[in-house]
Amino acid sequence: MTGLELIIRMSDAAIVQTKSLTKTYGDKNRVNKVDLHVEEGEIYGFLGPNGAGKTTTLKMLLGLIKPSEGAIKIFGESLSKNRPSILRRTGSLIESPSYYGHLTGLENMRVMQRLRSVPDRNIDEALRIVRLENHKNKKAEQYSLGMKQRLGIAMALLAFPKLLILDEPTNGLDPAGIGEIRELIKLLPARYGMTILLSSHLLTEIEQMATSVGIISEGNLMFQGKLDSLRAKGRSTICVKTGDNLTSNRLLLAQGYSPIQSGNQLEFDYLEDDDVAEINRLLVTHGIPVIRIGERSKNLEDIFLELTGKERSL
Amino acid sequence: MIKIFGLEYFKIRRKKIWIMITLFLAAEMMWAFLSTSMSIARNSDHAVWESIIFSIASMNGLFMPIISAIVVSRICDMEHKGATWKMLVATNVSRGRLYAAKYLCANSLLLYGILAQTGLMIAFGLIKDFPGAPPVEWLIRFIGGTMLATLAVTALQQWISLAVKNQAFALCLGMLGGFIGMTAGLFPTSVRHLLIWSYYFDLSPVTFQYAETASSYMTQPTSSMLVAAALGMIVLFYIAGNIQVNRQEI
Repeated sequence: MTGLELIIRMSDAAIVQTKSLTKTYGDKNRVNKVDLHVEEGEIYGFLGPNGAGKTTTLKMLLGLIKPSEGAIKIFGESLSKNRPSILRRTGSLIESPSYYGHLTGLENMRVMQRLRSVPDRNIDEALRIVRLENHKNKKAEQYSLGMKQRLGIAMALLAFPKLLILDEPTNGLDPAGIGEIRELIKLLPARYGMTILLSSHLLTEIEQMATSVGIISEGNLMFQGKLDSLRAKGRSTICVKTGDNLTSNRLLLAQGYSPIQSGNQLEFDYLEDDDVAEINRLLVTHGIPVIRIGERSKNLEDIFLELTGKERSL
Repeated sequence: MIKIFGLEYFKIRRKKIWIMITLFLAAEMMWAFLSTSMSIARNSDHAVWESIIFSIASMNGLFMPIISAIVVSRICDMEHKGATWKMLVATNVSRGRLYAAKYLCANSLLLYGILAQTGLMIAFGLIKDFPGAPPVEWLIRFIGGTMLATLAVTALQQWISLAVKNQAFALCLGMLGGFIGMTAGLFPTSVRHLLIWSYYFDLSPVTFQYAETASSYMTQPTSSMLVAAALGMIVLFYIAGNIQVNRQEI
């Protein structure tokens, strides 16, 4: 596995586990030796810029596309050997919601009901959860994008699976809808004992829902672990603005510090208070005016951008 | 399997496929009945069961490939439109079973059309007071031959309809098949037997012998070679389509 930072946690409680999962198109690895590890009861946020390989990875987990290399274990069973049994316990919504436009919402649910062999009460419950019960007799093609997305989630929820895989589940939803789906996803593990693997390119979305996170960029898993351990990586930087940054830089380098010129100031990785005082003293004694010394904390977005490549558009 | 087959019927509700088949067949039957009636008016020797069987079998060469293309396309296109193929495959249903269910669904609908044709032919013969009782053996051979050709044509159509999202390809193939089916008699036998759409005519129990002085209807035996060729094409198109759809990444 390549990447700047990677934390691999191995445990027997893994619901989803991949080993060196790779998908190659032509000579390019769209997914490159990814080792996912999702534990039971987690909400695992699979985060990455558009085109990072999130959907390709999720499709491989569902057997929609075949991996070029690597192995997938779900519920501790090999996907290649026990696919039907695994899929019976897995619900999914991949890319755009799937629906039969000429059928009503309820009829769409009935299609899924026949495939999943579940009782009628599951339909009522799933429609109630996504608040579509009042629109169930309307044709799906007449639904708004948000309603189609809810229908897709209801269909994924229908059998109340042990594992729910949602690819960008809040796409197309308005802010109120996003909030509702977010709250829904958060309560599923506790209420129905589900494990949720959801992908998104929006950090804020993952931050508000996930308990664990995997960050993928250009097919490589750059980070995997608890959200708290990602936050812990956000150590502060010290910024020093002087009257002569060029001379200051030279002086401080000679003294063993590692300043980085950043805009019109010098930036240091986290420094102890004594080091900050010493830098200030050095600059003043050499006649360089110190204009401002500041501390900047990295937020998750900074960390994410750092992991996936700075200044890149998401 | 029965559950998946039943599901196909559930999914095509409001697709109006029954009505479409009925209307298409109504047009074909009207055309066939009118031309046969005119033929009988010109020559009373043509007031025989052979005339209507021959007329319908040759018109099937034009109509059935088009009807088959439309029916199969309607059944397959709904999976492309709603991106539902990935949803179905992500449940614990095998692609092979889904493929088989669609094939059975399309062919059961077309069998309804062929049986309706047969019933209408009998009604036409009785109304026109054709001599003798309805020729059961010929009618069974007509149903068998038409169904055999239809099974091969739908196998080919389903392959194209599921493999290529744009249904214009499948419908164009259906129209091309209709053209070939209609003009099949003009091709040399060796070429004709390579084209499945000509089998509607070739597997008919009745043919027409053209002569300079007096043309007449003739019964033709069912060629076991043609039946074997049709069965071979069914297997070939079905397996090729099934393999491609199974391997296709979604």
